[in-house]
Amino acid sequence: MLTLTDKFAAGAKRAPAALIVMKGRYIAMLKNDLILRSPVQYLGGQSADVLADGQFGGVLARAGVGKTALMVQIALNSMIHERNVIHVSLNQPVNKTNLWYQEVFGHLSRQSGVPQTEALWESLLPHRFIMTFRAEGFSIPKMEERLTDLVEQKIFVPRLLIVDGLSFDEPLRDSLSDLKHFARLYGIRVWFTIRTHRHEDPGPSGVPKQLSDVEDLFEVAIQLVPVGEEILVKVLKGLTLPTEHAQLVLDPTTMLVKDRSA
Amino acid sequence: MKKDIRNVRNIGISAHIDSGKTTLTERILFYTKRIHAMHDVKGKDGVGAFMDSMELERERGITIASAATFCEWNGHEINIIDTPGHVDFTIEVERSLRVLDGAILVLCSVGGVQSQSITVDQQMRRYQVPCIAFINKCDRSGANPFRVIEQLKDKLGHNAVALQIPIGLEADFSGVVDLLRMQAVYFDGDKGESLRMEEIPEALRELAQVKREQMLDAASMFSDELMEAILDEKDIAAELVIAALRKGTLARQLTPVLMGSAYKNKGVQLLLNAVNDLLPCPDDIENNALDMDKDEAPVRLTSDPAAPLVALAFKLEDRTYGQLTYLRVYQGSLSKGDTLINVRTARKIKVGRVVRMHSDQMEEIESIPAGYIGALFGIDCASGDTFVAPGLSLTMTSMYVPKPVISLMISPKDHKSEIHMSKALNRFTKEDPTFKTHVNPETGETIISGMGELHLEVYLERMQREYAAEVTAGAPRVAYRETITQQAEFDYTHKKQTGGAGQYARIGGWLEPLPDQDFEFDNQVVGGSIPTQFIPACEKGFRKCLAKGPKMEFPVTGVKVVINDGASHSVDSSDMAFQAAARGAFQQGYSKAKPVVQEPIMKVVVETPIAFQGPVMGSLNQRRGMIVGAQDEGALCVIESQVPLAEMFGYSTVLRSLTQGQAQFTMEFLAYKQVPPSIAEELEKKAAEQKKKVA
Repeated sequence: MLTLTDKFAAGAKRAPAALIVMKGRYIAMLKNDLILRSPVQYLGGQSADVLADGQFGGVLARAGVGKTALMVQIALNSMIHERNVIHVSLNQPVNKTNLWYQEVFGHLSRQSGVPQTEALWESLLPHRFIMTFRAEGFSIPKMEERLTDLVEQKIFVPRLLIVDGLSFDEPLRDSLSDLKHFARLYGIRVWFTIRTHRHEDPGPSGVPKQLSDVEDLFEVAIQLVPVGEEILVKVLKGLTLPTEHAQLVLDPTTMLVKDRSA
Repeated sequence: MKKDIRNVRNIGISAHIDSGKTTLTERILFYTKRIHAMHDVKGKDGVGAFMDSMELERERGITIASAATFCEWNGHEINIIDTPGHVDFTIEVERSLRVLDGAILVLCSVGGVQSQSITVDQQMRRYQVPCIAFINKCDRSGANPFRVIEQLKDKLGHNAVALQIPIGLEADFSGVVDLLRMQAVYFDGDKGESLRMEEIPEALRELAQVKREQMLDAASMFSDELMEAILDEKDIAAELVIAALRKGTLARQLTPVLMGSAYKNKGVQLLLNAVNDLLPCPDDIENNALDMDKDEAPVRLTSDPAAPLVALAFKLEDRTYGQLTYLRVYQGSLSKGDTLINVRTARKIKVGRVVRMHSDQMEEIESIPAGYIGALFGIDCASGDTFVAPGLSLTMTSMYVPKPVISLMISPKDHKSEIHMSKALNRFTKEDPTFKTHVNPETGETIISGMGELHLEVYLERMQREYAAEVTAGAPRVAYRETITQQAEFDYTHKKQTGGAGQYARIGGWLEPLPDQDFEFDNQVVGGSIPTQFIPACEKGFRKCLAKGPKMEFPVTGVKVVINDGASHSVDSSDMAFQAAARGAFQQGYSKAKPVVQEPIMKVVVETPIAFQGPVMGSLNQRRGMIVGAQDEGALCVIESQVPLAEMFGYSTVLRSLTQGQAQFTMEFLAYKQVPPSIAEELEKKAAEQKKKVA
């Protein structure tokens, strides 16, 4: 008598059953899978709206700790929800920024067990726009001017803006206030990477010096703190993590956010 | 011809459009006394640059076909191939890189690393060609060679090391500081022909010291002796540094950077010194051929002139005296009167005239030894053919040839033009493997296909100028193709019984998508349900279906056919019957496998002044383009996008009018992607109309 394994083996030799793939619906299914397994949900629930329209968020860390990786996860999460993202990168060329996305997306889909990533990736790309500037000639008003062009000519209307590499060591209050006004006007959520320095002590409220002068403009602030082999995700402001996910870390191999206890 | 191979350099000059390659070559030829007057590419004297020998090249101010020349500098013989910069002529660049030992990567000090520089760099990497960089146009407003060096590092991943720093920039650019010998070099005389060495200007001393240390640091990674000398704080001889730099360059782990302004006659002589000092001689490069008798096992070639000959034809030209074939000899030597074998055709060839080319002039020579580039007259061959001495069966590795993405229908105006057109097409297809031609069997139209609009345009113009063939061209057509998106089964029986011998064949199996390949046939028939002798007929039948897809008659790619069942008849089954059954089976399975049409998507990079960023992005969006990103480069902005080729026709005119002629763009093939449903519908309509017309 044939065992079940034999039956399967015999079946494999014959023609496989026809697979009906409805491309659009299938990609939507894959997106759902990614949404359900998105590591960013640890920060903001399944809708992943950590920020509301017009709000600012900051990810603070020393150089090389994983700010960009976390930003890209937030951006990908928005793209999966079909919300447009503009990624402004200072001093990194378009290709390099794109590589970050490919890398993080690769880890994310492997971790979520999502197959056919190429089709999914293709469907996400139209929701992303990378703008790169040379840091020496960069200013927030200049960026705002470019963004206004894009939005008003309806070339690309973002829901999320990521500003990666802006130096918070210079006084920024005036230009950030203007940007806040712009973000509110167009309903854009803005995340910044904020580089801190090892040798500097935090300000009186425990917030790193780079943020303390403009803290009131930021609704959310997250700090990445390397402790031994791990990188802890520490909320400085604006978020209350569900208790079961109170210990978030960045996985050092994939740089994805994960729950330490999981 | 001098015989010391260590003093030979075979180099190419590659770069982005308008970086000044041809001007630089012109200066090199002047300083090495090969020419006695310099002309500009689009100069007012109307002579044009020496290397742009084709009438069309001089008119348009671009290099279309690469020209070969040689010159002597400080006892070294330098063979130079000037290569075109436009991406449509990439095959020319690829061919020259295949036969060169080293290259000069020319970069514009204002534009920096541009899109075509990236393509050229990838090609250099593919053929492992060591290179040095020359940052040109330091006299231009906005020049910043140090930014270009940073871009070389960031964008191309080169370990770029400056060997010089500029003395002044833009209008004040007057010379360079040589960091090897720590001296200032000025270029005096009307044509910059006399070099004046002086002390480094006070204002630059500190910077020169910093940059020299950086250079020594980088070079010391390739020489223990230099490292020790640095640690012991000894005086460091320039020769020691050069040896270390050369080692790094040959290993492609270091890119020495020189700078100047070819147009203003500054820095070219030092670049020639660097070619002699830092780029490889033919002996430094490992060249392999494939042994056809030993299942294409690689065989290392030696540059010994006494060894049996191996040479590669890398370029053909039609001259008044017949076909001129450019060759690079890799092993042995090629002399007048020798008998050679063309490995592809297995034909014997007797060598007649052997010449050395100097743009469109030639010098007769007795022989071409290993490591040299020369040309032969009156030999019938195709580009990429290998020639060997009798008894050898070696072939040089074939060159990477991209598939054409655009086609155009052409028709001659009269019978005379038809004859000329056919002559011209015959020549062009031999010269350029990316240029293809065929006759549509249904409409009888002659179709030419190539790598871009400009590519085909140039051939149309050449047809008229060189062959007096008056042709009219139809609208360009994109090379669409079909593929399937899901698995589907088939079980088809071909049965015919209409008097005489009958036909009977049954084939069962399935089709499935096959990414990254055109076709695969998998025979899983067991138990002889299809007799073995009919399996090739089945494969042939399936293959025949690929030429014209059942959906819209575009070629089909990316299909795997698996057959696992079937039936035959002892009398009525034949090859013909199984071929017909395969065609029926393919059609049956294909319609169930959700076929889609794919179109070529191009990577389009536009460089525009910031003021026009919005309109340029808008124009790309209108063309179904997806903007990947925008890079701010000071006064300029580089927009990278992916646009369907079908939407790019005439874009150069649109871009010119949008940006007052201040923007430029490059376009290269990226991938095939599925066309959106609305476009597919339009294509279907067009295909139906076309069918009606033909009927």
